[in-house]
Amino acid sequence: MLRKGGVAARKFMPPGSSLSNVIYWVVIGFLFLPLFVLVLYSFNAGRQTTWQGFSLVWYEKLVMNSPELWRAFSNSIVIAFGSALMSTAIGTLAAVGTTRYSFKLKNLVSTMSFVPMILPEIVVGVSLLIFFAGVGLKLGLLTVWIAHTTFNLPFVYLLVSARLEESDPSIVEAAQDLGANEVQILFRIILPMAMPGILSAFLTAVTLSLEDFVITFFVTGPGGTTLPLYIYSMIRFGVSPVINALSAVMVAGTVLLVYPMRNFLKVFASR
Amino acid sequence: MVKLRKMMLNLFGLALICTLLVLSGCGEQTKTLYIFNWTYYTPDSVIQKFEQEYGVDVVYDTFASNEEMFAKLKAGGADYDITFPSGDYVSIMIKEGMLEKIDTSKLKNFSNIDPAVLAQCDFDPGNQYSVPYYLGAAGVAVDKTKVQNYDRSWSIFERKDLANRMIMLDDMREVMGDALKYLGYSVNTVDQREIDAARDLINNVWKPNLLKFDAEAFAKSFASGEVWVAQGYAESIFAEVDKSMWNTVDFFIPKEGGPSYLDSMVILKGSKNKDLALKFVDFIHRPGIYAEFCDYFGFPSTVNIPARALKKGESWYRPEDLLHCELKKDVGPDLEKYNAAWQEIRIGK
Amino acid sequence: MRKQHIGLLYTLPQILWLLVFFAAPLCIIVIYSFLKKGLYGGVEPQFSLEAYTAMANPNIVLVTWRTLKISIIATTLTLLIALPCGYSIARSRNQAIRLFLVIVPFWTNFLIRIYAWIAIMGNEGFLNDILRALHLTTESIQFLYNQTAVILVLVYMYLPYAILPLFSTIDKFDFTLLDAARDLGATKFQSYIHVLLPNIKSGLVTAGLFTFVPIFGAYAVPLLIGGKDSYMLGNIIADQLTKTRNWPLASSISMTVTVLTTGLVFLIAMRKPREQKQVFDVDPAFLQATPDGER
Repeated sequence: MLRKGGVAARKFMPPGSSLSNVIYWVVIGFLFLPLFVLVLYSFNAGRQTTWQGFSLVWYEKLVMNSPELWRAFSNSIVIAFGSALMSTAIGTLAAVGTTRYSFKLKNLVSTMSFVPMILPEIVVGVSLLIFFAGVGLKLGLLTVWIAHTTFNLPFVYLLVSARLEESDPSIVEAAQDLGANEVQILFRIILPMAMPGILSAFLTAVTLSLEDFVITFFVTGPGGTTLPLYIYSMIRFGVSPVINALSAVMVAGTVLLVYPMRNFLKVFASR
Repeated sequence: MVKLRKMMLNLFGLALICTLLVLSGCGEQTKTLYIFNWTYYTPDSVIQKFEQEYGVDVVYDTFASNEEMFAKLKAGGADYDITFPSGDYVSIMIKEGMLEKIDTSKLKNFSNIDPAVLAQCDFDPGNQYSVPYYLGAAGVAVDKTKVQNYDRSWSIFERKDLANRMIMLDDMREVMGDALKYLGYSVNTVDQREIDAARDLINNVWKPNLLKFDAEAFAKSFASGEVWVAQGYAESIFAEVDKSMWNTVDFFIPKEGGPSYLDSMVILKGSKNKDLALKFVDFIHRPGIYAEFCDYFGFPSTVNIPARALKKGESWYRPEDLLHCELKKDVGPDLEKYNAAWQEIRIGK
Repeated sequence: MRKQHIGLLYTLPQILWLLVFFAAPLCIIVIYSFLKKGLYGGVEPQFSLEAYTAMANPNIVLVTWRTLKISIIATTLTLLIALPCGYSIARSRNQAIRLFLVIVPFWTNFLIRIYAWIAIMGNEGFLNDILRALHLTTESIQFLYNQTAVILVLVYMYLPYAILPLFSTIDKFDFTLLDAARDLGATKFQSYIHVLLPNIKSGLVTAGLFTFVPIFGAYAVPLLIGGKDSYMLGNIIADQLTKTRNWPLASSISMTVTVLTTGLVFLIAMRKPREQKQVFDVDPAFLQATPDGER
């Protein structure tokens, strides 16, 4: 290979070495292969994997004939938004507290706030299950909601803190000098300033909650089946390819959700 | 900024409603019966008939093994009204004080139950806590298009030519029981040497030929052609296999016999719908309903006598096939011996 | 003095919530791990070290070793693959699209992705169908239900976890340093090893942790993709709780996993002489790439 010399000459080269680009595209292929296979199978008329012609029958079944799936879906939505709301409220307040004030327990609070994030899910799930059993709380939607709020908290706290740390403290000082009280400062200045962070924390919490399987698996009870749990049972029981159709819909949903955000991804990248 | 705030308000509003929904989930209007049952064990049609007749909702959650059911209930999920443990677990749950007494005199259809079956209920003498649901046994399903010459024996799992095309349940008492029976011992043995012998048979001879142990997806694996020989429950196998393919499946209880189970309906302590639960128990033993249940799963009517005459369909096995089987019993603290053996099998190399 | 109280007041809900629903459950686990097991589940109120001596059981030791082995192999593979990917994204003109392509599979439900691998690698799956159609094989090849399959799927699952933090660290790297190194006579490879790598260490550590910790506690992947030889610690914990009814043992293994993972994290955090308080580099872009309306 020809050795190229001089900074100026290299400026006109496509950025990134070609090997890393090749690896990147191979990895993207690897990441998308399973999704592609699922989408393909979702249009298969037959029950098994062998191709028996194009059909939308599984989509029809998914929409018209899967009441339990939709119940699980609505449980998931309720839990996702409910736990995101709770964790965003609590986590945001804590982030405001630790970024604006210094107090004795501050370090303990911030350390404690991220530990749940680094524990394996199975430990969180098992400990919550044993705890709920110990205090005699009946397993169900309520315990799922508590568990989800708990594992969402560290993420909310970190995202909102990161945003608050970037914001200009002089604005708050100015407001104080002008005689604003604590409540006014919180609602008129700090929260609006942190809003993008709060919003992204909220959405993060929603996605984490929608995604969770292991913890939910342990703490769920009667009537507390969420979508991932239902998907799990579809993997284990029933050969119906409705699961392929569901997967395809979920992949499409993810694409539609992430694509409009692609430019924001860049914003994050350039910070 | 304004747009963003509006969006936030909407999101939070939605979230608030959701939270309220979670918190208010407890106060429903129609009565709901919470059933915790094996994965394939009560046909949807039966549940629907019950719902219509009594104007109630039924929430039907499932488990794949006694252990799983027990763990969940023990851990505080006892908001269920009815569950379906096997005999050994009925006695455990009685000892643990987890069950409500059942007044069988209030059950109009209790007399339909075969006295021979009631005589076997030594886990609950006099049926104070439990009403038999079904007496059966796990067997072996063979895909006849792929496997032609075979012996209807547990020895099928010794066949190296079927390696990685066979599957067994991830269920300690079931698989250990099969090996014990095959070796000529009791499925309830507490003799360490016999348990060790069964463990070695499974570990060294059967396991190398198995794809995996799986109490949940075995039937699905069988139906999809992933495996050709599956040890498991007939009802699961035939629920997964398409009707048009049923003639390609041979289901048998191996000639050596195996552990049989007598699953019973029990009402859980703290049930808020005891009367409704009792009605459900009675409903199941109506001859017509019981026959519908048996036909749906291809069961012989082992428990309910009048239902035998009403059954229309074939059964996957005959009641006589259960002759060499032996009911699983709670072995008390000696279960530790089974646990140790099973752990070694499951963890394996 | 007053300010202190306000700060505490703000954090009070979070402190209480985590105390009740996180710290207390962990404490119960610690306590349970020192109690005698109840015959039918639960515990007897009687001190016992049984749960810890039971961990010396060769079976548990074997699984611990296997779990470590799988975690280390999968993490290493993930990092090796993620590094050039992160680099490629960072140097690309189309960062947004390239990130988007990584995030879509990452955001697709993880059980769905596991299921997809079952559909691909099964005896009657996509891959075997293709191999048979090409007459490369007549018999099905057994891809699923072994440790290799578990490692493959784990790498698949956690690749994005590694790519995203690596990307955001590499993106902050000053690429002219590479040119400088090359001008001083270093080969391309040397400049990567001696200039790039030391500068993106924090990203590597974050990526490594975010891959290693969840893999170490993996439950669903070994359960669904693994076979007779793929049980991991997560499965043992679940089994002790749901099947063997040995709550103390489930607790003691959970404790071990907890101590190992948090210990690892804090060890790495301590060794890192960094001005900031945060224990490790968590970039919001990694946690979630979500709309940031203000910019």
